Amino acid sequence: MRLPHLSLVLIWANIDLKYLLSNYKITMKDSSSIDHHPPRWPIKVLKLLLKNEYLEEIEGDLEEVFQDNVELHSPAKARRRYIWDSVKLIRPSLIKNLSVHSYSSVGMFKNNLKVSFRILKRNKAYTFINVLGMSVGLAIAMLIMLYAQFELSYEDYNPQSSRMVRVTLDYLSGETVIHQDCETYPPLGPLMKAEFSEVEEFTRAYHNDEKTIQIDDQFFRESNIYGVDPAFFTLFNYPFIKGNQKGVFTKAYETVLTRSQAYKYFGKIDVVGESLKMAGVETPFKIVGVIEDCPPNTHLKFNMLISYPTMNVQFRDAEDNWNGNNTYTYLLLNDKANLANFGLSMQAFTKRLIDDEKVRDENVVSQPVKDIHLYSNKSFEPEKNGDATSVYFLLGVALLVIIIAIVNYINLSTSRSLDRAKEVGIRKVLGTSMFQLRTQFLTESILINLFAGVLSLILMLATFSEFKNMAGLPMDFHFFANSTFWLVLVSIIILNSLLSGVFPAFILSSFKPVSILKGRFSHSAKGTFMRKSLVIFQFAITIFLLIQTLTAEEQLRYMREKDLGLNIERTIVVASPHDRDLVKKNHQTYKNELEKFAQFTSVATSSCVPGLPAHDMGTTTSVRLAGAKENSFNYYILHMDAGFIPTMEIEVLAGRNFIENAERDDEVILNEETVRLWEIANPEEVIDKQIKFWGKELTIVGVIKNFHQASAKSAYLPMIFLPENSGLAYTSIKTTAGDVKANLALIEEVYNKNYPNSPFEYFFLDQEYDKQFRADEQFQQVFGTLTGFAILIACLGLFGLVSFTIAKRAKEIGVRKVLGAEVWQIILLLSKDFVSLVLFSMIIAIPLTFFIINNWLERYAFRIDLNVWLFAIPALAVLFVAAITVVIETWKISRANPIKSLRSE
Amino acid sequence: MKITKLGEFEELVLLTVIVLKEEAYGVAIKKELEDRLNSTLSVGSIQSALKRMEEKGLLKSEFGEATNRRGGKRKRIYEATPYAFKVISELKEIRVSLWDAIASFKPGFNMG
Repeated sequence: MRLPHLSLVLIWANIDLKYLLSNYKITMKDSSSIDHHPPRWPIKVLKLLLKNEYLEEIEGDLEEVFQDNVELHSPAKARRRYIWDSVKLIRPSLIKNLSVHSYSSVGMFKNNLKVSFRILKRNKAYTFINVLGMSVGLAIAMLIMLYAQFELSYEDYNPQSSRMVRVTLDYLSGETVIHQDCETYPPLGPLMKAEFSEVEEFTRAYHNDEKTIQIDDQFFRESNIYGVDPAFFTLFNYPFIKGNQKGVFTKAYETVLTRSQAYKYFGKIDVVGESLKMAGVETPFKIVGVIEDCPPNTHLKFNMLISYPTMNVQFRDAEDNWNGNNTYTYLLLNDKANLANFGLSMQAFTKRLIDDEKVRDENVVSQPVKDIHLYSNKSFEPEKNGDATSVYFLLGVALLVIIIAIVNYINLSTSRSLDRAKEVGIRKVLGTSMFQLRTQFLTESILINLFAGVLSLILMLATFSEFKNMAGLPMDFHFFANSTFWLVLVSIIILNSLLSGVFPAFILSSFKPVSILKGRFSHSAKGTFMRKSLVIFQFAITIFLLIQTLTAEEQLRYMREKDLGLNIERTIVVASPHDRDLVKKNHQTYKNELEKFAQFTSVATSSCVPGLPAHDMGTTTSVRLAGAKENSFNYYILHMDAGFIPTMEIEVLAGRNFIENAERDDEVILNEETVRLWEIANPEEVIDKQIKFWGKELTIVGVIKNFHQASAKSAYLPMIFLPENSGLAYTSIKTTAGDVKANLALIEEVYNKNYPNSPFEYFFLDQEYDKQFRADEQFQQVFGTLTGFAILIACLGLFGLVSFTIAKRAKEIGVRKVLGAEVWQIILLLSKDFVSLVLFSMIIAIPLTFFIINNWLERYAFRIDLNVWLFAIPALAVLFVAAITVVIETWKISRANPIKSLRSE
Repeated sequence: MKITKLGEFEELVLLTVIVLKEEAYGVAIKKELEDRLNSTLSVGSIQSALKRMEEKGLLKSEFGEATNRRGGKRKRIYEATPYAFKVISELKEIRVSLWDAIASFKPGFNMG
């Protein structure tokens, strides 16, 4: 009678937690309405459990008590009481009488349970190995599942996301796509709404550079400010929590804040009607609404929204600008639209645009908004996206870990059949049916899995914050209220119990009692083969995981240590104030004052620095080498002064650097990649040639060596460098080795002197650059940890198998020793079998791994060469660990006195 | 004399049923007892006591009216059987005689 309730209590507890969490919100919403209803699920559960004839009365009582409590206390408390009362109703005198129909099976079940507990208690080591292996496997798999679930949940908060597409541009060279850009021309959105009947609404989102916001005398630097159209709030599902959505954002200088931003600025959320100033903008912005913060699982995260007309009025982006593509465009399609068909109709649309000479060498394409986070990797993504391959890869590995854990259980329990054989024999003689025997073994596996489930929950709780860090999950992420989580956990436990229980149940229950009791008990070749193949399988997985880990580690190290083509060490980068006029006026004195200090070897200003997202750089396709054929590569533009090349220690391949303070704007420097794209072998050839650039004629004065603007993950970018002395977004200062704090204090002092009222913000270039490897590092850490546990579990399995085999061959070993065999000979004899298993798994694993890893490395533009060691080291390591496991176990038996094994028959 | 096993709580519930007369149904009994005991009781504890006593033949019951407040579900009105009256009066007699015994042995014993 107890066990069914054990599992039920588990479910109860889960639902209850989830409920309590969601409860909080319900109360806040409900407090004003009049009608209250208790939750429905307790009654559903009670219907299953309680005697039917009592149901009506009890339901009525519960309902009445609930209504009383609503009046006496709060609806939330009434609900809690209701649930608690329902739980308390599950008691022997009220629930259905299970024993009436199947008295014998309940008795049998009790007995099974008792025997199971005794057996698990007796074999503590075995129980420990099983529970540990299973719970570690489960915990890992569940954590990975949570991570994958989060990654796959992007845009799910928005019910309209499945009907939304983002319009992007593909740059073409002839027929081939050479570059993909997320940002589009401003007129595209309105035009598409007018031309396509499927398009219900559109919104643009214009990504602004970092701005300084002023509230009274307080200054804040804000990034992620978007200029958006009125439909943005409906499309992305951000209802106003303060203010009225109607009619907003049709005029310039309107802004909507998120809840936390409102708190940050004003200390309250009721801020509609207030205004704020943006540095360099004369007109103050009127706050017309407050919305909730962006959920963590959306690709478009923002801190502040400003009305799109502001972009036209203030930031000089004309409404019919077909030259600069700087805005994201999102469309909401109607119910009838088909995403695939819509994609096709875009082709005809592009053709019309080309005929109208709006665009050239470009394709307007659409992509579903839901696919952005995991499948899109174009230029100027709003944030670093995830990667479907990694997610599914990790899910696959989680599955492998679970499989290894199950295989372990099967191996261990079948190998323990020797101990159990006599028990099975006696039970059979006493008339136990096959069914009863199988239930016995299933009960054991259910018990072990239940223990493992509880332990895995404890493990998960213990490691959860660590894991969130590792996997880059938001800090307030938790699994208590996650119904999928509990569902998957419970189903894995059930499935595990069945899978790991069925095999032993069938093998063990099929023994013939006579031969067991006579003592002539041998194992079928089939069982051995099965066990051996399972071990081979386990080790093949382990070897694969190890090789993959090692390769990823090597690749990461390679990218880290690769010559970047520049020196980012000891470089402090200071962001300039957003007030452009101020920077223009004071930059030169600021620079000169910095250069006076001996510890600052050089000072440079530039529009972007290496390691920052490509966002911060402009791009253009409008560059032509005089006399060369037309092309439409996408070039990245970096503005810099003459200090940039020496500060970053970039090598000049041909020609010269810009001249300090020359005030010439007709010069240009290229990088190697640009020259390579033009199919010119010798950079000297382009020096002093002219290029046409945005309608101007510029002279090429130098070609510099390629450097990794982004990390070695991506290929070199074709870049154009333009001279600019008047102070740009970033000032980089190369320092000599010395006191970092003192240096920073010095810089800050000079900064404040020249730029009063602007927040001082800086970063160390090498640290900022390193952030690009975060995703790889996370993957690496998660993967490495997984691999470690997989090896642990696999070794536990091997350990179990070895002890089984040794026990089986105890007599043989005894005879050998009597005949004079040495300890080492016996160890060798016993290890041989297992070592050959590991060797066999290598033969299977290595070619497969080679194939997978080769594919995996494709995603890096600069990658390591696969060498023998990458495969040999993991293989040898596994062999070594396996050998140690075997030797430890065989050592004992080969030293034992042979009499012990030989005296009993 | 055969003593019917009657728990302390059951006895309280039984007495409440008798006190409440035709108003004796689950929630009313619960409220009455909560008032008297000055503590919160769960629906389950009342129900289980009622069912156990019904099984022992101390109570009988029939469906009463249904109200909106109960989500349209009918009440079940409980009533003590003659057997129940017999049992509790026996219990009372036993108690009284025991108390008397205590009082006679210890004349100075103060009950208050």
